[in-house]
Amino acid sequence: MTTLEVRGLTKKFHRFQAVDDVSFTLTAGRTTALVGASGSGKSTIARMIARLVRPTSGEIVLTGPDGEPVPRRAYRDHVQMIFQDPFASLNPFHTVEHHLARPLRLHGRPRSEVPRLLEKVSLTADFAARRPHELSGGQRQRIAIARALAPGARVIIADEPVSMLDVSIRLGVLKLLARLQREENLSVLYITHDLATARHFSDEVLVMHQGRIVERGPSDDVLMRPQDPYTRRLAAAAPDPEARFRQGGQP
Amino acid sequence: MIRSGKLATGLGLAGLIVLFGLVGPLLTGDPATIRDVGLTPPGGEHLLGTTLTGQDVLAQLAHATRGSLWIGVLVGVMATVLSGVFGIVGAYAGGIVDEVFSLFSNVMLVIPGLPLVIVVAGFVPADQRGTWTIALVLAITGWAAAARVLRAQTLSLRNRDYVAAARVSGERTWRVICVEILPNLLPILASQFVFAVVLAILSEAGLSFLGLGAANSSTLGTMLYYAQNGFALQREAWWWFVPPGLVIALFGGALVLINFSIDEIINPRLRDRARRGRDVVAVEAEIAPVDDDAVLTVRNLNVVYQAATPVHAVKDVSLTLRRGEILGLAGESGCGKTTLAYAINRLHRPPAEVTSGSVVFHNGADVDVLALEPEELRQFRWAQLSMVFQGAMNSLNPVTPIRAQLQDVLRTHRPSMPAAQREERCAEVLRLVGVDPARLGSYPHELSGGMRQRVMIAMALLLDPQVMIMDEPTTALDVLVQREILNEISRLRDELRFAVIFITHDLPLLLELSDRIAVMRDGEVVEYATAEDVYLRPQHPYTRQLLASFPSLTGERGALIT
Amino acid sequence: MGYYLRKLAFYLTALWAAVTLNFVIPRMLPGNPVDILMAKLQQRGGSVDPAARTAYETLLGTGGRESFAEEYFAYLGNLLRGELGVSVSAFPAKVSDVIGDALPWTVVLVGLATLLSFLLGVGLGAVVGWKRGTWLDALVPATTVLSAVPYFWLALILVALLSSGLGWFPLNGGYDVVLDPGWSPEFIGSAIYHGTLPALTIVISSIGGWLLGMRNMMVSAMSEDYVLTARAKGLTDSRTMIRYAARNAVLPSVAGFATSLGFVVSGSIVTEQVFSYPGIGSKLLQAVQNNDYALMQGIFLVITIAVLGANLVVDLLYGLIDARTRDRSTVS
Repeated sequence: MTTLEVRGLTKKFHRFQAVDDVSFTLTAGRTTALVGASGSGKSTIARMIARLVRPTSGEIVLTGPDGEPVPRRAYRDHVQMIFQDPFASLNPFHTVEHHLARPLRLHGRPRSEVPRLLEKVSLTADFAARRPHELSGGQRQRIAIARALAPGARVIIADEPVSMLDVSIRLGVLKLLARLQREENLSVLYITHDLATARHFSDEVLVMHQGRIVERGPSDDVLMRPQDPYTRRLAAAAPDPEARFRQGGQP
Repeated sequence: MIRSGKLATGLGLAGLIVLFGLVGPLLTGDPATIRDVGLTPPGGEHLLGTTLTGQDVLAQLAHATRGSLWIGVLVGVMATVLSGVFGIVGAYAGGIVDEVFSLFSNVMLVIPGLPLVIVVAGFVPADQRGTWTIALVLAITGWAAAARVLRAQTLSLRNRDYVAAARVSGERTWRVICVEILPNLLPILASQFVFAVVLAILSEAGLSFLGLGAANSSTLGTMLYYAQNGFALQREAWWWFVPPGLVIALFGGALVLINFSIDEIINPRLRDRARRGRDVVAVEAEIAPVDDDAVLTVRNLNVVYQAATPVHAVKDVSLTLRRGEILGLAGESGCGKTTLAYAINRLHRPPAEVTSGSVVFHNGADVDVLALEPEELRQFRWAQLSMVFQGAMNSLNPVTPIRAQLQDVLRTHRPSMPAAQREERCAEVLRLVGVDPARLGSYPHELSGGMRQRVMIAMALLLDPQVMIMDEPTTALDVLVQREILNEISRLRDELRFAVIFITHDLPLLLELSDRIAVMRDGEVVEYATAEDVYLRPQHPYTRQLLASFPSLTGERGALIT
Repeated sequence: MGYYLRKLAFYLTALWAAVTLNFVIPRMLPGNPVDILMAKLQQRGGSVDPAARTAYETLLGTGGRESFAEEYFAYLGNLLRGELGVSVSAFPAKVSDVIGDALPWTVVLVGLATLLSFLLGVGLGAVVGWKRGTWLDALVPATTVLSAVPYFWLALILVALLSSGLGWFPLNGGYDVVLDPGWSPEFIGSAIYHGTLPALTIVISSIGGWLLGMRNMMVSAMSEDYVLTARAKGLTDSRTMIRYAARNAVLPSVAGFATSLGFVVSGSIVTEQVFSYPGIGSKLLQAVQNNDYALMQGIFLVITIAVLGANLVVDLLYGLIDARTRDRSTVS
């Protein structure tokens, strides 16, 4: 069982403290949601775990299925990332095939697995020859998910994976992620500003505010019965038509 | 059409000149042969006449063209490689490497090139000035501008998510640069190469004309040098002097045309497009009897993008906005909701065109918005109907303070208002939206996103309009800030009784905020009812689908995961 | 570090680089300039005492007798004292005097022509961009093709047509030689009369670049939200065009001034030669043709300093017209 543990993670940009002493653990078969407003430091955490940004201090320890720490070189076989903007995360110059075949090759897998990957994200094999501009937002994000799976990753960091998509296809992509998580026994870090999907699609929730985790726990506990004042404000701010019509009140 | 015309002309002309330089010297005789037919005008045996010493101008021109092209290509390649190394590699590496490379490029850029070349050429004895020396010096003094352009572009590319994704996949740095970044820089590299070639040919011509060119070389510049020293123009031997310059000008012009086309590929906004005379066609102001309480009536409005295949963006839309009501307009990207909003205020731009329908504003008398003359339309805007756009970030002019942008409205619409009163009104609207009037002197970038949107709302209130159109005013904002702004809008509406058309993809937000909601899909209003009916009794399947797309925070958990 | 300090530091670095380049070039390239200079000096009847030789060696290199550092500091010292040596082509005048006589001509000619070209190009570019889709679009390729014409060729054609042919302008020179240089109205009039054609050449050849750059930025700015807001606000067209679109579109042209100024200065050197204009460009060529290395280097330095100075002024101005720059640099 692969686990990723984050201990005392801190990132400073010049004088600005983006992430301040954050610790948590991702375990296989569980989805952890990291919620917070933009600028709260959640994307910086994603980028540190994906090794795109170097932490100022703290450590990220990845334990392999054998219980041994995964060596630095093999880190990317295990940890992959899905980006927010599907229109920016695929190179307009290259085909879908390139986007999938490269990570396969880099991690010692045959190119012939491309159709299987496409099938995993509910796309047909003929998508391989297309270029990003021929795809819809939802299709692009599926390709991005397939790319993250290509190296055989066990830990997936999904940074606002649906916030740039049209509302009617968001749930489809989230359901796909949830299905893959169960089928492949992945650990998923779901980063979002949307409390509702965080609650429905994750087992555990971490609430971030100004670089710190202010509240954590099982998702229902945190979002239905928030203890921290900031979490309460967040939960109260989300639009809730239920309150207006079912309980008869006017906003 | 015009675009491909430019490209075809450019490529054709450049191709012809290159062909002339390649093949010409094989077909014409020895350019150095001296005959006793000095300064023969064009015609007969010598198509372009002869020089003072009877050399054939056409033969000289062919050899000189070849020489100039050779220099151009040499310098072009070297300068592009240099600019690539300093621009792309530096920008990708970042940190201190970028600092040093960029400082170096900028220093090379501000040190004037030709004077430096002249000084270097002056120090190198004439017999040691070979073509390669000149080319090298021109390349060294000519790469910096391109490096700056490439650096800016690479800096933007290297922050794209697909580059980050490639790094996460484990791609090596050189592969990320060569395979992920470089292909996307190709248009810019091509344009910079073309530019370097033109510049090199021009500079070499200048140098040779001054007698500082490569020894024993034959270029268009040396030809002009000999023509000038042979007093070609004073002897009225235009056929000796004009052709070399003309070849340079034509070749440069051709490459410039090619560069236009490349620019248009890089930045599609630059493409030529035909301007249409009117934004509204075929409008009959059939003002049907309307609701007494209505402030704005839209009837059967159609908007079409007149492209090669016309796109019908708004189809037969009819809406009534009552005094003081909030009308929600819901829909996904591309459903036509923004086009509709712009068409109501006639802000749509060509090729968008209102093909039929009416927009009538009721304020005492009925105003047929689509029939307003430009000056009437200008006066109508903001005074009766103001707008708040999605990107408060970009809706404010970044280079002037808030004060100037608020006062602009009053200066234009209330020219007689005294300055002190103007200032007071600006401060007053800021206080209304909860912004400290001391912020009037601030620039947009000094304000937070929420603050900027408040300023936009304050601006929309300046003239006490009857109607405010808000296009995704809170989408770019954080949940908490969004909540504050929404509360602010509800409060102001209650106090000031203006009507709002609120556009967003966020249906739950509309359900909470609006009185009535119109759901749009593919240009059509598929559902139009009170918020309560839309929520409790949705009629159209699409409305139901949209409603189901927003899981409720408080609802049953786990129902979605199947 | 503040925006202005950063800019100042950059230009000091650039100045140091130019000064050092000036020091390194004669030492790196083949040939023995000091010997050539001494021979020339002798021909002109100048003193060939060791002091004169030392002065040139400080400038151009001792051939390894002194260490590089010693030479370098002696050279910097001379520069600081304004000692650029003696010109052999204008013997016995000092290099600094030769430059001092020629510089005002060039500064006025190139300065005015550049300013005119910038204002015209940016103004026309703004209008062409704003009125996009009309016949004005044709101005863009037309003026850009003009900028691909060699300056000197255009200058000579203009001279042949307008001066020799029609007699509208003088053939060459900076003023009527019968007049005494001074601030008399006749002299100034004559200088303007003589400067018109060279200035015209520079304007015609350089306007295209400004126009194209401004037009492209204008087109981009017009699709920005703040222009849309300005239209929605019911502002007049002219106010929207000038205060919103053009005000933003002009920024890159100002920021890119350095690139363009280099081209203009380069072009004007050759133009001066064509018109035998008494400016610094003709003097540079005269120096090159006569192997007057001291004068050559002095002129290169002065041109560089002038270009750096102009860019510094423009950059400082840029800080004034775009508040974002000032704030951004305090963060990073």
